[in-house]
Amino acid sequence: MSSYFDLTSELWKWNSPIWLLVLSLTGLYFLFHRGTSGKRSVAFLFAMFALAIAYISPIGVLSDGYLFSAHVIQHLILLLIVPLFLLLSLSESATEALFSHPFMNRLGRVMAVPFVGWLSGLGVMWFWHVPSFCNASTENYALGVFRDATFLLAGLAFWWPIFSPVKRFHLPSSLAVVYLFSACLGCTLLGIYITFTVISVCPAFANPVDRLGIMHFLYDQGLTPATDQRLGGLLMWIPPCSLYVCAIMVVLKRWYAEMEQTASPKTAGTTSSLREARQ
Amino acid sequence: MTTGSIEQSERTSLEPPVTSTLLLDWVSTLDHKRIGIMYILTAVFYLAIGGCEALLMRIQLAMPNNTFLSPEMFNQLFTMHGTTMVFLVGMPVLTGFGNYFVPLMIGARDVAFPRLNAFGFWMLFFGGLLLHFSFLTGSAPNAGWFSYVPLSTKAYSSLQGVDYWIIGLLIMGIGTVSGAINIFVTIICMRTPGMSLQRVPLFVWMMLMQVILIILALPALNSALSMLLIDRWLGSAFFDPTRGGSAVLWQHYFWIFGHPEVYILILPAFGMISEVIPVFSRKPIYGYTFVAASSVAIVLLGYGVWAHHMFAVGLGMYADIFFAVGSLLIAIPTGIKVFNWTATLWGGEIRFNTALHFAVAFLLQFVIGGLTGIMFAAVPIDWQLTDTYFVVAHFHYVLIGGTVFSLFSAAFYWFPKMTGRMLNERLGILQFWLWVLGFNMTFMIQHFLGMMGMPRRVYTYADNPGWALLNGISSLGAVFMAIGTLIFLWNIGTSLLRGKVAGDNPWDAFTLEWATTSPPPPENFTVIPEVKSRRPVWDLNHPKNADWKTEKTPPDKGIRPNMAKLAAWSFIASEAVFFLLLLIAYVVFNTRSGEGAVSSSVLDVERTGIFSLFLISSSVTFWIAERFLRAGKKSAFVFSLGLTILLGITFLAGQVWEYTGLLTNNITINTDLFSATFFTVTGFHGIHVTAGVIALFVMLMMGIKGNLTPGKSHVFGAVGVYWHFVDVVWLAVFGIIYLGLLQ
Repeated sequence: MSSYFDLTSELWKWNSPIWLLVLSLTGLYFLFHRGTSGKRSVAFLFAMFALAIAYISPIGVLSDGYLFSAHVIQHLILLLIVPLFLLLSLSESATEALFSHPFMNRLGRVMAVPFVGWLSGLGVMWFWHVPSFCNASTENYALGVFRDATFLLAGLAFWWPIFSPVKRFHLPSSLAVVYLFSACLGCTLLGIYITFTVISVCPAFANPVDRLGIMHFLYDQGLTPATDQRLGGLLMWIPPCSLYVCAIMVVLKRWYAEMEQTASPKTAGTTSSLREARQ
Repeated sequence: MTTGSIEQSERTSLEPPVTSTLLLDWVSTLDHKRIGIMYILTAVFYLAIGGCEALLMRIQLAMPNNTFLSPEMFNQLFTMHGTTMVFLVGMPVLTGFGNYFVPLMIGARDVAFPRLNAFGFWMLFFGGLLLHFSFLTGSAPNAGWFSYVPLSTKAYSSLQGVDYWIIGLLIMGIGTVSGAINIFVTIICMRTPGMSLQRVPLFVWMMLMQVILIILALPALNSALSMLLIDRWLGSAFFDPTRGGSAVLWQHYFWIFGHPEVYILILPAFGMISEVIPVFSRKPIYGYTFVAASSVAIVLLGYGVWAHHMFAVGLGMYADIFFAVGSLLIAIPTGIKVFNWTATLWGGEIRFNTALHFAVAFLLQFVIGGLTGIMFAAVPIDWQLTDTYFVVAHFHYVLIGGTVFSLFSAAFYWFPKMTGRMLNERLGILQFWLWVLGFNMTFMIQHFLGMMGMPRRVYTYADNPGWALLNGISSLGAVFMAIGTLIFLWNIGTSLLRGKVAGDNPWDAFTLEWATTSPPPPENFTVIPEVKSRRPVWDLNHPKNADWKTEKTPPDKGIRPNMAKLAAWSFIASEAVFFLLLLIAYVVFNTRSGEGAVSSSVLDVERTGIFSLFLISSSVTFWIAERFLRAGKKSAFVFSLGLTILLGITFLAGQVWEYTGLLTNNITINTDLFSATFFTVTGFHGIHVTAGVIALFVMLMMGIKGNLTPGKSHVFGAVGVYWHFVDVVWLAVFGIIYLGLLQ
């Protein structure tokens, strides 16, 4: 029985074209964000690291037609992790300057409409798991690249109302909690469906073409197509929900720190008028 | 209805009562405080029943091979004990305290919907009675408080017990959800100026979390109960594996409700402890935001871990791992709270009275219950210990050691406010020690019995080494608890008659309920103090050390959404979960690899498509009607609303046509799983459309009579939220059933 270490060379794809994207993004980032804080640079580097891992590691290699569960991990990295850390890496002042332009401001505002972000995030998740689309995007390279691009963009749109560097695009906290909680419900439903359905959600993974000769290795590990799909469904379900719960905690932390309006006369006015109305 | 008219009616009810009208006053009351007390009294009444059931069981188990109870009687007793304690003691008593104190603590003069509040109480009351009528038939429910199928199906439980159980729970469920919506809207919309949501007392915050859980979790139970009822009465086979149904589906649905139910019972208890410990430590709570935010995490995680009740079913290794990890995660937010409470005590100026005694015992015992919970999250331990007395010990440590102890604590803390009299401390301490001793004797022992392999829910046991002694001790403990309870009742009785007069704020406590008289007047407050921090009454009484001078808290932005619309939204959130689970059942039973949709061969998709257009266009005409109403154009409003009703009725006619066709072709609800799920989903939807049409008709009549003015357009809007929701549900139904998406 072969082990993981015998297959190291097959399972890692060091010559992946993703390096082009990683390097160019890194170049752009440090060009425009010179002198940015250490925390933000770390967030950016982590985003790039995650992006690279999604393609060069076994996750990327196995998601290319072998394992549905690996595909789900890749999908989650692209949709949730990379965009989240990209947004966290942007400095407030630089982004504010960019979004002060009227056109960009409008774009930012459209993206801040909760329905847009919610629908993009959940939409790509559901859309690319309709069996025919899932199959086509796994078998056709160009379509696969397009799908991955939609993951990244939809992820940016999804996190924008929560973690946009520009505060005026943030959702009010109560709405943000509903936004994230309902998103959790959305991926829970998809996860439940994938976990428990008897249908093969992505038939390409049910009968893989064994290009690398690792099929036996996977089956030996117990990763038969049915198990693989169940694992994929669970991955689609619980890790994103845990991430959303963490995001909700961040939102609540912000909410409990909403102190700046204390001195604002407008707020005091609203409060006292409410009091008068009551009395 | 206006708050003014209620206050007036309550004032008239305050005039010196003639004995014959006293009962009527209480029965017809809309005062949240009286309804709260009625909830608590109902809970005490059923506590006596549930407690006696427990005592009978402990007598039976006190010695091996006992014949005091028959096996059949024992089954009925543990079923009714569990059901009673969860639905008729735990939930009502917490709702009762919530009803009484939430409006007082947020500085409101009443709840948002007093009539809905009374409705909720009476549904619960009569639902409970109905459940207990089953004893008169000679066959009380006997399938356990979670009535697992197939045991609870007609084939194995042919008597009426389970039917009473289902209908009783459905009726109580309606009451509970109504009460929850009322509390939810009250907290969001009726806070006094200055009371931002970040400043509400933690009991209020925990009640908010609890009612969110009720609104979203109870419909899961209702959908499962509906399916079981259809199985039993109409012969379908949702839960009959021999005809293609799924017994595991019942377990999933029950625990999707059942696990959040644990938090429904414990979160308000956390809230009570978070009020008692700070007051008797003379300190604000340590880490308010941690306690509040961590309960949000508990609520969210609580929905996602139901399957840890099902590790023994065989869900597969990966599912076990994920649910185990999810369950372990809940230990984090729960553990944080224990540290918060301990840190609040630390360095405090402690007044160690009865309330604090119970609170401290809560901390210790809840930690034990929590730790055994963590043990159960580990799959192999669960496999070993499931269905033994270890489980019984675990959840009693959470629900008695946790919830009941915090309730006693809250009772000693709030009794002066509710009655104007203090409870007797000496009797309180006596009761405390009897309970601590009795509780730990009864249930600590059961951990060991469980480890030794004694199964739960079995009416007797063989004389295995040690079992007789341990069971004897366990039974003896129950007697201590019973005596403790009698002392408590005696304490209440004597204190009501000649207890020390309490005054407005005997504990020098912090929150707004202490800013009014004890007991509070019908309108709650004469003057509501200004709220500038989390401890307004402390600020009032200790202006030099006022909290707002040292600690800034987020101010009130004055946002109070419209009550009618918020109620409608929370109602449809609940309904959405109900339909979601019915639709999931449809998908589960109608997805067979490679077969395609059964529906396409039976249903006339085009015809229903056309009728669907009628329903969807009714949403548009409704929207137009709303615009006309706001613009004050009466006749145009009446016309477009009439059109909406007509379109709704046309849709219903289409459904009747479709049903007639199916029934004449001998396709009935008990034909197969497709027909069962089809009729259930579309039938419930049809009932909702009918209810919507009736609501619209009422609106139409109000419009014609000129009672619906532009100023009341939000009431119409609230009906609209429901009507649009019914349409959206239909889109999902049409997509999944008729077009066969997801198959």
